[in-house]
Amino acid sequence: MASGSVSITIKLFSALREALGESEFQLNLADVSEASSQVDVAAIKKLLSQRGADWKEALNQPNLVHALNHKVVFVDAVVSEGDELAFFPPMTGG
Amino acid sequence: MSVALQREAIDVAAEYAQLIGDSPGAAVATFTGYVRDHSDQHAVTELELEHYPEMALKVLEDLGRSAGERFGLSSWRIAHRYGRLAVGETIVWVGAVANHRGEAISACELIMDTLKTDAPFWKREQGSAGERWVASRDKDAQRRARWQSEETP
Repeated sequence: MASGSVSITIKLFSALREALGESEFQLNLADVSEASSQVDVAAIKKLLSQRGADWKEALNQPNLVHALNHKVVFVDAVVSEGDELAFFPPMTGG
Repeated sequence: MSVALQREAIDVAAEYAQLIGDSPGAAVATFTGYVRDHSDQHAVTELELEHYPEMALKVLEDLGRSAGERFGLSSWRIAHRYGRLAVGETIVWVGAVANHRGEAISACELIMDTLKTDAPFWKREQGSAGERWVASRDKDAQRRARWQSEETP
């Protein structure tokens, strides 16, 4: 990571991790704020959707769950430096 | 008053002994969930449980605490497996100690109904239909919703 850059951690689980072939990576927040005025979950989904058709499809499933710092949130949740944002399908434990 | 996330089998007898300690109080209710040998349509031979460790711990601790407050539990415990599980193995164990049976039973039910939809675990089945991720069910969301009002269903 370049010095001075601020990043967040993205995590993917279950079918989403499998479809996209990644489980965890860093995302530079400057890239998000360059593309959108508000740095929220929706803006991050939009940016990641540009990685390809498979990303766009996986991140725009109607039942996708987003968790910010281990708490389920809506797409308007604001994301800041050092946050951990996870994407996954509905949970099926128990 | 604690949560365990574990790869190894759940020792139900040891969990029970630990839950009640020196005195069982008045009412103890427990729930044990096992790997079934079938899903809705297919035979199942093995289950793989993926989880999000930090979030699973937080969700289950919050859930135990809120069930404890709502039903006045003197003790509670939630143990959940992850990793590879064979048919017949335990997946989850919940125990609740209260003054009356209603509170103890309701607490177990609230914890299980909420855990199913809110705790980050994902089941992957292996069986006659090959390997597949288990889909969430509307019925689970409906059971979860029953606990959102103040009244106990």
